[in-house]
Amino acid sequence: MTDLEEGPLPRETPEVAHAEARASGLLGLLMVVAAVVVLVDAARLRSSDEVLGPAAAPTLAGVLLGLLGGSLVVRSRHFLRTPASSGNRRHWRLAALVVTLIAFALLLPILGYVVCAAGLFTVAALLLGASHPARVVAYGWTLAVVVFLVFDVLIGLSLPTGPWGF
Amino acid sequence: MGDLLSGFAAALTPENLLWALVGVTIGTAVGVLPGIGPALTVALLLPVTFRLEPAAALIMFAGIYYGGMYGGSTTSILLNTPGESASVATALEGNKMARSGRGAAALATAALGSFVAGTIGTVALSVAAPVVADVAVHFGPPEYVALMAVAFVTVSALLGPNLLKGAASLVIGATIGLVGIDTQTGQARLAFGLPSLFDGIDVVIVVVALFALGETFAHLLAGTGDSRVMPLRGAQLLSREDFRRSWPAWLRGTALGFPIGSLPAGGAEVPTFLSYSLEKRLSKHREQFGHGAIEGVAGPEAANNAAAAGVLVPLLTIGLPTSATAAVILTAFQSYGLQPGPQLFSESGELVWTLIASLYLGNVLLLVLNLPLVRVWVRLLTIPAYGIYAGVLVFACLGAFAAGGTIADLLVLTVLGLVGLLMRQAGVPVAPAVVGLILAPLAEQQLRRALALSEGDWFTLVSSPLTVALWIIVLLALIAPPILEVRRRRLIRTREATSLKH
Repeated sequence: MTDLEEGPLPRETPEVAHAEARASGLLGLLMVVAAVVVLVDAARLRSSDEVLGPAAAPTLAGVLLGLLGGSLVVRSRHFLRTPASSGNRRHWRLAALVVTLIAFALLLPILGYVVCAAGLFTVAALLLGASHPARVVAYGWTLAVVVFLVFDVLIGLSLPTGPWGF
Repeated sequence: MGDLLSGFAAALTPENLLWALVGVTIGTAVGVLPGIGPALTVALLLPVTFRLEPAAALIMFAGIYYGGMYGGSTTSILLNTPGESASVATALEGNKMARSGRGAAALATAALGSFVAGTIGTVALSVAAPVVADVAVHFGPPEYVALMAVAFVTVSALLGPNLLKGAASLVIGATIGLVGIDTQTGQARLAFGLPSLFDGIDVVIVVVALFALGETFAHLLAGTGDSRVMPLRGAQLLSREDFRRSWPAWLRGTALGFPIGSLPAGGAEVPTFLSYSLEKRLSKHREQFGHGAIEGVAGPEAANNAAAAGVLVPLLTIGLPTSATAAVILTAFQSYGLQPGPQLFSESGELVWTLIASLYLGNVLLLVLNLPLVRVWVRLLTIPAYGIYAGVLVFACLGAFAAGGTIADLLVLTVLGLVGLLMRQAGVPVAPAVVGLILAPLAEQQLRRALALSEGDWFTLVSSPLTVALWIIVLLALIAPPILEVRRRRLIRTREATSLKH
């Protein structure tokens, strides 16, 4: 039994299956690391006079994370040894998008919602392959302004504003 | 029945009808976008309802929920990109019909089937829920622990491609659910001294991160592959022949969907597959299956909607969410001040009946709105992928900010989005994670309560016949998946075989 042929979507190529196995190995590794963190965190909790203290559930979660993560790693160990073949540029694009999201979070209280959301839309659309930068900027501003008007002005969900009041 | 009528009276004010209409419209508009299933639609649009008074929020929410469901089927049929596993079966025949130029008929039978199933499902819900609530009032913590154990094993076994990956997803979600201050002892767990994590991570943020950001990131990595929308030809009507073939399928789908959906166990998509194979077996036009048989759309789609109504039974009466969508609905209810559980009907009966009436109205509005407007929704499918995903990102950040209100929430969103991407790449389903996120803290609370009441006697967990029966089901659910797996593969194989013929 392998874990490569299930799922509702048909597998296209061996490379896809390979990538999936690599990713599940990576996820398994991450789960094992998380298991250690969770167990260490659980160990420092003060126990109470209950039968099951506050540490019981995290300990169980940690053990399960470790076991399941470990099995995922074991199942995909063959694929983890071979290096990733391609897709470096795409990984750069992913990194750029993550940086943009972090920048959005940090700049939000300073520049306000409209500017940040317009920026986020524009950068994300360009990274996703939009071909007309000027048009994308216009779409981004429109979307941000509409969202601000609907949510902040109409619904009353107060969104952060910049020095210019929006 | 009188309660239901007063619910209708509360929901049927002009203002509330307007909210329902707005809800159905935006729910459909978001749900129709590729890759966005009902759970994500509801999570993304939840902030819209936050500032309304509870009755208006509920009715708008019901509209969003049904709109999201219908929008999802439209995308499955026209684009073959089901946003969640429950619409996979609809896509099997629906997309084949669209390819052979019968998309309009497929959409019509889906809409009418959803309506029929939704109507019967809502009536069944209003009959079944009070009865179940009466029984559930007598449940103690041991019964809750056993019920949640059933939900845990069935969710990871049924929602995933295999038990290991389903369980991995469930445990990842459960771990996220443990973040925050322990209610019994007041100690912070997994918060690493960060004050913004003391309250835990909001469910909306996790859902939006795992579904929306995961999907967007995956799209970025895969590069933009343009998907082809099947053009709609002909009238949005069913021919006499289509109708004759559809209505028995709607009823059979409903009969499968509601009972299975209302079990306190995971797997709302199971009846859709059962319905598909039942229709295939019963059909007089078996040779059409795989080439666009209308029964194959009508049955699963009705089963899907009836199951969605069924899922509300354990959710409202026991407080047990058994699907990702139900988990989001639970959060929504809590934000409206409703605490699902056996007391819900006695404590906030008025609001619950308003909700059930709203579900019914949402269903009617959907039919009125969708048959004439389907071309508008199809237009939405022609928005280029970059526009859709960049827009989803903007709304995801808005939803996370509205749910949490701090910068830290946006950072958590980004990190969890990367986890969602990795899970997606690894073929690990994300829906069990959402269920685990909600259920793990509840299960822990009930288990600690049970053991406190029994003064540490673990046998309290099997102290009644019901708990013993439920634990036996847990064991069976752990043994059964290998058998189901064989059936699943057979279905996938037939699907691949049929798609090869094109």
